[in-house]
Amino acid sequence: MLMFSYLMATGITTGAFYALVALGIVIVYKSTEVVNLAHGDLFMVGGMLAYTCYVMGGIPYLPSLLLAVAGAFVVGILTERVAYRSVLKHGLASVLVATIGVSFVLKGIGRYIWGGKGDYLAFPPIVSPEPLQFGNIMIMSQQLVVLFAVIVVMAALALFFKRTRAGKWMQATASNPKAAMLCGLRIDRIYMYTFAVGAALAGAAGVLMAPLTHLYPDVGFVLFIKGMAAAVLGGLTSIPGAVLGGVLLGLAEQLAAGYLHSSFQDVVAFLVIMFALIFLPTGLLGARGLRKV
Amino acid sequence: MSILAVDAVSISFGGVRALDAVSATFGAGEIVGIIGPNGAGKTTLLNVICGINRPDTGNIRLQDRVITGMKPNRIAGMGLARTFQTSQLFAGMSILENMMTGLHLRSGTSLYGAALQTKRMRAEEAELAARARDALDFVGFGGFADRPGNVLSFGQRRIVEIARTLISDPKIVLLDEPAVGLSVNRVEELDSLLRRIRDEKGVTLVMIEHVIRLVMGVSDRVVVLNSGQKIADGRPEEIRNNPTVIEAYLGKQIDAARSAS
Amino acid sequence: MTLPVLVGNRSFLALLFGVLLALPAFANQYTLFVGNLMLLYIILALGLNILVGFAGLLAFANAAIYGIGAYGTALLQVHLGWSFWAAAPVGAVLAMLIGTLLAFPALRLSGIFLALATLAFAQATQWVLWHWQSVTFGAGGFRVPPPDFGWIPVKQDYGIYFVSWAVTLGLLLFTWRIMRSRIGRAFVAMRDGEIAAQSLGIDLLTYKAMAFALSSFYAGVAGALYSGLLGFVSPEAFDLFQMIIQKAMIVVGGLGSVVGSVLGAALLVYVMEVLREFKSTQEIVFGALLIAFMVFQPHGLVVFMKRWLPGWEEPLHLAGGVQSTAPGHDTSVAGATSKEHASAERT
Repeated sequence: MLMFSYLMATGITTGAFYALVALGIVIVYKSTEVVNLAHGDLFMVGGMLAYTCYVMGGIPYLPSLLLAVAGAFVVGILTERVAYRSVLKHGLASVLVATIGVSFVLKGIGRYIWGGKGDYLAFPPIVSPEPLQFGNIMIMSQQLVVLFAVIVVMAALALFFKRTRAGKWMQATASNPKAAMLCGLRIDRIYMYTFAVGAALAGAAGVLMAPLTHLYPDVGFVLFIKGMAAAVLGGLTSIPGAVLGGVLLGLAEQLAAGYLHSSFQDVVAFLVIMFALIFLPTGLLGARGLRKV
Repeated sequence: MSILAVDAVSISFGGVRALDAVSATFGAGEIVGIIGPNGAGKTTLLNVICGINRPDTGNIRLQDRVITGMKPNRIAGMGLARTFQTSQLFAGMSILENMMTGLHLRSGTSLYGAALQTKRMRAEEAELAARARDALDFVGFGGFADRPGNVLSFGQRRIVEIARTLISDPKIVLLDEPAVGLSVNRVEELDSLLRRIRDEKGVTLVMIEHVIRLVMGVSDRVVVLNSGQKIADGRPEEIRNNPTVIEAYLGKQIDAARSAS
Repeated sequence: MTLPVLVGNRSFLALLFGVLLALPAFANQYTLFVGNLMLLYIILALGLNILVGFAGLLAFANAAIYGIGAYGTALLQVHLGWSFWAAAPVGAVLAMLIGTLLAFPALRLSGIFLALATLAFAQATQWVLWHWQSVTFGAGGFRVPPPDFGWIPVKQDYGIYFVSWAVTLGLLLFTWRIMRSRIGRAFVAMRDGEIAAQSLGIDLLTYKAMAFALSSFYAGVAGALYSGLLGFVSPEAFDLFQMIIQKAMIVVGGLGSVVGSVLGAALLVYVMEVLREFKSTQEIVFGALLIAFMVFQPHGLVVFMKRWLPGWEEPLHLAGGVQSTAPGHDTSVAGATSKEHASAERT
């Protein structure tokens, strides 16, 4: 029972983190129907920028966090303008290759600036590293920070999409780009900002998770797969779905590792993707669409 | 014997009854128009006939063989062809190749034959190309044979797609809004093309259309759908004056306008 | 014939294969190895282009299938003592059978969803190769005895080289012919208008399965040759990076073009060799090159070739048509494709 509750707790907190990655993927997909394969690397960029500011630059934590997220935002804009804008209309295969190219560039820059293949950067803990005790369960405070952050981000996004003009523009562009264009919306600008918001989310996830895990240039892809699994499980077009998917994935991983074998932890994400796509093609909360002929 | 018989077909999508016990028969060599307000279920009817959707109840018979629930490619093999509202000309091949694909079921080259370029395969390819050119000439687009599939205007594509359906000598062709996007002149050309198809090839044409002038002018019979039900079935003149049909299109506005004044 | 007309896809292929055939005469051992690798990549690219380019099935499992071919061949030799010549066909067929199973999810999924599902499958396969140590020897890989050429008096690496050369040429001809037949048309039809293709009688399951079977067979053959070439098999040769390279080859070369596959494969192998010079900035340069290609030649180099070399006469089967621009634009071709001729008498 103790192990179960421990696994549950870890599962939910890791899951919250996957949810954060997934949210960025979902937002970009909803708007542009593009899956940004470089999304995980943006997470790495956020973490690395935070490291640079906080550890190497001595800037206090909160400003470092904001700088890192802003930096990721800028990187998002840059990648959209340079790599995606002109390629978007040429078909999915070309877009995917372009995102792969961006992924390599980001990884390469990360490796060049912050270290080679074997180097792991250790980010010092932000909050007290003493685990908190809830009954029989021990949780790291940083994990709670992540959980809290996910809730805040989700609420902020919900508000953003429902209440602000920019949010509504993004939704309009997502559901019907041509109509949006006819209404006068600058959809290329909107795409750009959507990518940037997605990138900022990834960056934020990177910063939040940095104290809990080691940073290394290749961390991006692993994260991407997990975020993707969470997003697909929840339904690629659903924001609450991303959160639900993330939590479920986190739980599944911990339970598999705990009750089956630790090596199963890695493969759970892949099995989840395959299972979700075959049996729940629109995800748990995604919209169901009829094929129109 | 009718070519196609639709027998009390019903289908619902997510709680909405798209077709409600619709029955109709289509005989050899006739042109039948299907009209009705938007959302009446016209395209759904075509989708059900050609196998894209399976009806909840009812049957479809093609020359007395039950085809309900068969896969679309199998139904195509039995002599039923169709065009779509959106252009489905294959953009990645030449127009000639588009036409040759129309003869897919009338050719039999296997992987083996293609790999070895057997005499039989080469002869078959030559024959397919020749028939493809003939079919293009029939609709007057012979000169476009070697152009890629995406150079035609929307209206031109619709005509070529009709040619593509004819090339396999089907018994019945379903046309989903063939006149959409056509200018007035082109509509007249379409009118004569449809007549030529019926007269020279004896093919049954079932046509969804909104261009009433075309439908009334060229059809031997007209079927009217409204909200998933068939509300009329007869010669164009009868339909034109049928009060139920008029009401379906115009609603009760005329009465309301009268009472208000 | 004027010179420009001579410079076309035929001469390109002849030149490339001629040089490759003569390579053992003047190249050192390393260059010969790279040449052999280029042949294998040509095979992989040809197969993948059939699946992704012609049939429009965006699958990301090819590297894993390549691995299954290699592992199948190698394990039959190591565990059961078979000779290379017996193990290779079986390994290739095994890869083909497993790859064909992917046609089933392909019936229900398309676009990004199919990409993800096949990617997940590939990663899961990688996991199996890593963890099923009793059979696959785990992450460290294992050695394979070299193919035995018996009584044929040929040097080891020459032997495998010529075999690769012959197989590659054979598969190239095979691909060219298949794609110019009704089967190729069925693939393109499926890609460009699935519903219409069905209404013309094309059975989606049959042709999707065929596309997967063909590409998996090619990958399996390449895998078998790989194990013979390297004498060593390990999981990391068949990972995501490998998949990315293969994808990049066909996208850079031209989706829906047989010659494009060859072009892309040759070019990318060359680029990867050049990148070795860029020690620490390798990834950045590679990524930048990919981006540059996608921005400037999103439909592949064959479009460029076709436009500037009048002798380049392969009819293109690009998705969206030649010279396609943003959706909604009515495209009229300036004259770049006037050299196409679809006369069936030409073989």
